[in-house]
Amino acid sequence: MFRTKFRSIVILVLVAMLTGVLGVSAQDGSVTFMSTQFNIVEESDKIRTILADFGEVEFVPSEEGPMIDLLRAEAETGEGSVDLIGALHGTFPVLQNEDVLFDLSDLLAQLEENYELPESFVELGKLGTADYQYYIPWMQATYIMAAHVSALEYLPEGADINALTWEQFAEWAKNIYDGTGEAQLGLPVAGLFHRFLEGYLYPSFTGGMVTGFKSPEAVAMWEWFRDELWPYVHPQSVTSYEFMQEPLLAGEVILAFDHTARLINAFNDKPDEFVGFPAPTGPAGLGFMPVVVGLGVPYTSADPDGAEALIDFLLQPETQGRVLQDLAFFPVVGGVDTTDLPEGVAIEAAAVEAQAASPDALPALLPVGLGDRGGEINEIYRNAFSRIVLNGEDIQTVLDDEGAALQSLLDETGAPCWPPDAPSEGACQLQ
Amino acid sequence: MNKKKWNLAPYLLILPSFIYLAVFFAWPMVRSLQLAFVRDSQILPVLAEADPDADVVGRLEMQTQVAVVDRTRLDEVLPNGRTRPVYWFKIVGETEGGEQIEGWTHQKNVFIESRTTSETARVTSGEGAKEWTLDYVERMINDYRFTNALKTTLILIVLILPIQFVLAIVMALVLQAQLRGSTIFLYIYAIPLGISDLAAGLVWVSIFTQRGFLNTFLQQIGIINEPFIYLSADHQNWMIVAIVLAEVWRATSIVMVIVVSGLQAIPREYLEAGELFGASLWQRLRHIILPLLKPSLQVALILRTILAFQVFAVVVAITGGRVLTVLAYETYRWYDPGDSGFNNPNMAAAYAGFIMLISLAFAVFYLRTVRTQEEAARE
Repeated sequence: MFRTKFRSIVILVLVAMLTGVLGVSAQDGSVTFMSTQFNIVEESDKIRTILADFGEVEFVPSEEGPMIDLLRAEAETGEGSVDLIGALHGTFPVLQNEDVLFDLSDLLAQLEENYELPESFVELGKLGTADYQYYIPWMQATYIMAAHVSALEYLPEGADINALTWEQFAEWAKNIYDGTGEAQLGLPVAGLFHRFLEGYLYPSFTGGMVTGFKSPEAVAMWEWFRDELWPYVHPQSVTSYEFMQEPLLAGEVILAFDHTARLINAFNDKPDEFVGFPAPTGPAGLGFMPVVVGLGVPYTSADPDGAEALIDFLLQPETQGRVLQDLAFFPVVGGVDTTDLPEGVAIEAAAVEAQAASPDALPALLPVGLGDRGGEINEIYRNAFSRIVLNGEDIQTVLDDEGAALQSLLDETGAPCWPPDAPSEGACQLQ
Repeated sequence: MNKKKWNLAPYLLILPSFIYLAVFFAWPMVRSLQLAFVRDSQILPVLAEADPDADVVGRLEMQTQVAVVDRTRLDEVLPNGRTRPVYWFKIVGETEGGEQIEGWTHQKNVFIESRTTSETARVTSGEGAKEWTLDYVERMINDYRFTNALKTTLILIVLILPIQFVLAIVMALVLQAQLRGSTIFLYIYAIPLGISDLAAGLVWVSIFTQRGFLNTFLQQIGIINEPFIYLSADHQNWMIVAIVLAEVWRATSIVMVIVVSGLQAIPREYLEAGELFGASLWQRLRHIILPLLKPSLQVALILRTILAFQVFAVVVAITGGRVLTVLAYETYRWYDPGDSGFNNPNMAAAYAGFIMLISLAFAVFYLRTVRTQEEAARE
């Protein structure tokens, strides 16, 4: 009796799973929205709730690789199941190379009549072309600083937490070390630390991400990082820290740098104990890295009109506000109501805004034009860090070595310079 | 009827497992090895007319800068009812041999700033062209982390294997001694067998982390005042210790299982004879048990060494895979298309091939050095 019951349950579950899978392609009259963002179950549920207000939307969370493979395959057959894709900026150059996306220029013109979209993000969506809109910006995130309130008493005299210089930041970390006897600045070396080097240190000290890789300014920067900052960085940064919210909440560190989505739990769980603030400024400006998520329409879409209507819905300030509130991704359109945010999100929103609005702001974009070799550039920066800071190798030698690897990567992919570096004719060249 | 007629039945019986091995082991292995030596490059065939079936006038390398001298726009009607403008460009470029060629290509093969006005473009895709190369192997050997990974992997093998074998033999002897409650020992020994290596790694991380069990314990009994940070770049030896402990804890029982079965195969008469002639426990171990255990030890050694070359999750859990890295993690890192990987299956295949090679070398080495008596007698 129990056995047959058990077996029928198994069959039911299997059928449900199979139809669920098939449902992606068999649904009629609904828009299929595949996204590399929100692919954690709770996040998927939240975005589905938001999308329910639009109408019939099949939200399909996916990893980047499978999504690219699917779109590639659908382009080959000419007919597709996916109507709209949502992905990080870095995913789009691969899709550009495959030529699977509609030009959304006309749609953009319509949208810009109603919504205020930042010019820099719209430009990013063209992926280096003059008139082909591969994606419409959907939402953004970035990396900011977080501190426990107990760290504030060690702030160097006269320093403004919202306008720190890297020198003052290092001094702060040193004061904490001197005062508490522990190195309590945490960097996510086991996580997205390469963005700290590419988007924050390099632009702040050299004014660019790539061209000044082995410049004298870079040498000075590494010397400063190795001698003035690293001694006060928590030693477990290298081995264990992937999401800084955890060591912050555990009290292992009281000062940290990370992606907003990887700090949000600290701010949400204990909004009274943590403060968020913009990244410090260096001699060349305040380098920071915006993370842009875009929306694109594959030309194999069965329902391009539905996809365009859904893009419009997603850009509405109300929708953007709900995404900010529930999912802590920041809006790209103006006019979003931010008065009633959860405390943690409000803390981040203030820091993000202060960072972008700084007069010295130097937005550093994710590597463009490296195609599917985007991961390798990260490792070049990480290698430089490991060799200089952890192994104590000679700075200029390491930068020359790794700079050669960087140059050959740029040459092989033909990637032109991207902001904040000045644009180049042909492949980007190191100084 | 001729009784010596060739009998098909045994071959038919073997056939399924042969097919299974060929399809699921041999073929993927050959393919992945091939990945390490074949570059999947692309080359653009330039066509005589703006038509996919036109003749090829010449081929251009990727990233070649070309001049756009003419263009034509086609409106492709899509199944969804929309039309999509598709451009063909007449391009002029220089082939690898230095020859100027002029011809047409589809928009998807080039990067062009503006499809309607730009006069230059860059070749970005084409048709697949395969060529044999040693580049990936060279790049692997020159890779900054390769030596680090190889060194760590070998250090771990040298440290872990002897400890595991001594422990496993002792554990097996304890079980074999048939003490009261020895079955309980068996269960305790077998627990780690059921735990995934990542979980085992995480268990040991929670022991060694700053606010972990070890520091809390040491602080409570007053040996240290401040928590000591074991897992950091400055204390790489501690990380090795943690990995060795985790691996010994996790994987000794598999060796033990093999040794136990080997022990059970030793005829009691030999041991009784030894006892009769007054051999001490140590003498019996040294002259009877160990020599007769050789075949099982050989199997266990080969198995453990191969597994040790694949050690991965424990190391990543404990070290984060940055400061200390192992060969298997490098393989994964090159393969991983995510944010912390390089999305380069060719390099991953080179690493995988290297692991296979070195495992094979060790297996042959063991087979030749740890010989059984029959094998030695045969020569």
